[in-house]
Amino acid sequence: MCWSGIPHVCRNVAWKILSRYLPLMADRREMMLKKKRQEYFNLVDQYYETRKQAIHADTYHQIHIDIPRMSPLIPLFQQELVQEIFERILYIWAIRHPASGYVQGINDLVTPFFVVFITEYIPLDIRTYKVNSLPESAIQNLEADSFWCFSKLLDGIQDNYTFAQPGIQKQVNTLKDLMMRINSELHQHLTSNHVEYLQFAFRWMNNLLMREMSLMCVIRLWDTYLCESEGFASFHLYVCAALLNKFSSELLQEKDFQGLMLFLKNLPTQHWNDDDVRFLLADAYRLKFAFADAPSHLKE
Amino acid sequence: MSFQGPEEYDYLFKIVLIGDSGVGKSNLLSRFTRNEFNLESKSTIGVEFATRSIVVEGKKLKAQIWDTAGQERFRAITSAYYRGAVGAMLVYDIAKHATFENIDRWLKELRDHADDNIVVLLVGNKTDLRHLRAVMSEDAAEYADRNNLIFIETSALDSTNVEHAFQQCLNEVYKRVADRHFSNVNIGQTTALPTTNLQSTILEKKFCCNS
Repeated sequence: MCWSGIPHVCRNVAWKILSRYLPLMADRREMMLKKKRQEYFNLVDQYYETRKQAIHADTYHQIHIDIPRMSPLIPLFQQELVQEIFERILYIWAIRHPASGYVQGINDLVTPFFVVFITEYIPLDIRTYKVNSLPESAIQNLEADSFWCFSKLLDGIQDNYTFAQPGIQKQVNTLKDLMMRINSELHQHLTSNHVEYLQFAFRWMNNLLMREMSLMCVIRLWDTYLCESEGFASFHLYVCAALLNKFSSELLQEKDFQGLMLFLKNLPTQHWNDDDVRFLLADAYRLKFAFADAPSHLKE
Repeated sequence: MSFQGPEEYDYLFKIVLIGDSGVGKSNLLSRFTRNEFNLESKSTIGVEFATRSIVVEGKKLKAQIWDTAGQERFRAITSAYYRGAVGAMLVYDIAKHATFENIDRWLKELRDHADDNIVVLLVGNKTDLRHLRAVMSEDAAEYADRNNLIFIETSALDSTNVEHAFQQCLNEVYKRVADRHFSNVNIGQTTALPTTNLQSTILEKKFCCNS
């Protein structure tokens, strides 16, 4: 039911359940939330001060300079209070995951959760909402819930962010194999022009297409990712393949490396709406259905 | 975004922009290639890419510029882009001394991964922040001198010297190409160069591209 898009009013709860953060049994939810929220703020108390230590200075500095640069056009994210929340979430996550630490791009991955969860407290248009007018407890719950769901997401794709980013390298190779099979003409065209998949698809994997689409489109995309098993690690590949397929004719018209690269790095998807995402997901599903269970599918 | 129509050029030069996160690499690129500056530009993930052509001594030089992410974690990905580069702009922020201190590390990256004859510019960016200056021009100039780099200060925000910096880089590359300085040059190739497994460094092309 959620696969085909979650209605706005249910999304907050649905995402928390699908992230396996909120229990299915309604009567257990309150207790669990209380416990997890407390646990998060214990972590903050325990770790956040360490950002001032020399050994963690680089991590904190990187987070600190990235936060003001994310989603610069959405005023919500320019509010000091919101930026502080993001800093804490990212720092606490980084410090508890030393194998990867903070990697640029994962800051983007907090935003869909934050934006979806804030709807529990405020009406529809959140873009210019002054978060500091919310009660303190609501702000804290929002922060803790965002942290835990963001953590669950990253648990599934952690090797995307460890040294040399092996998860991404593997995904990009798999995407290439997949394209060879589903659209060999386009694949040939890219390779004969010396375009390497890593050159354009790296960001697609590192930021889960968040740089290619509006936040609202990404949220719609994630409705489905959260429903798929390994949505962010595996189904995402079929979405990337569907995306390449979608622009196949435009790409085939580009006659050289620079033309192809500029197109791929600036896909005309910035003004997409829900329908575009729906069609993309349908294509991705079709590809997955046709190729995922085929015998020579995605050779390991 | 795409460049349509036939395009001619005599040389295609690959240039890389490197340096710490937040020093303004992406804005130097956008200022040079599109005359745009964005105060709130997002962090670069992996590498970005843009091109622009200029004329030097009657020859049309096309610069293919790769703008790399500054964060350490991306180094494994970004260092692959040094291969085949004939020019590098090593950028620091004149208002943040730590970004200048890290130049040594970046220079080592280049020495490890790039062609020995690569033209390297040391670029002190953000000169518009004169009241916050933390790196003295003389110190940077002296460092550049010692390490055989061309030194220049720029401001992508107010455009100061940006054009000049890229021009100087391309001029110097052109000079070295004319003198056959590059060891693994492949003059006369007609393929685009930027793949990581191609050794071609400079490509001389006539009447090509989209034709």
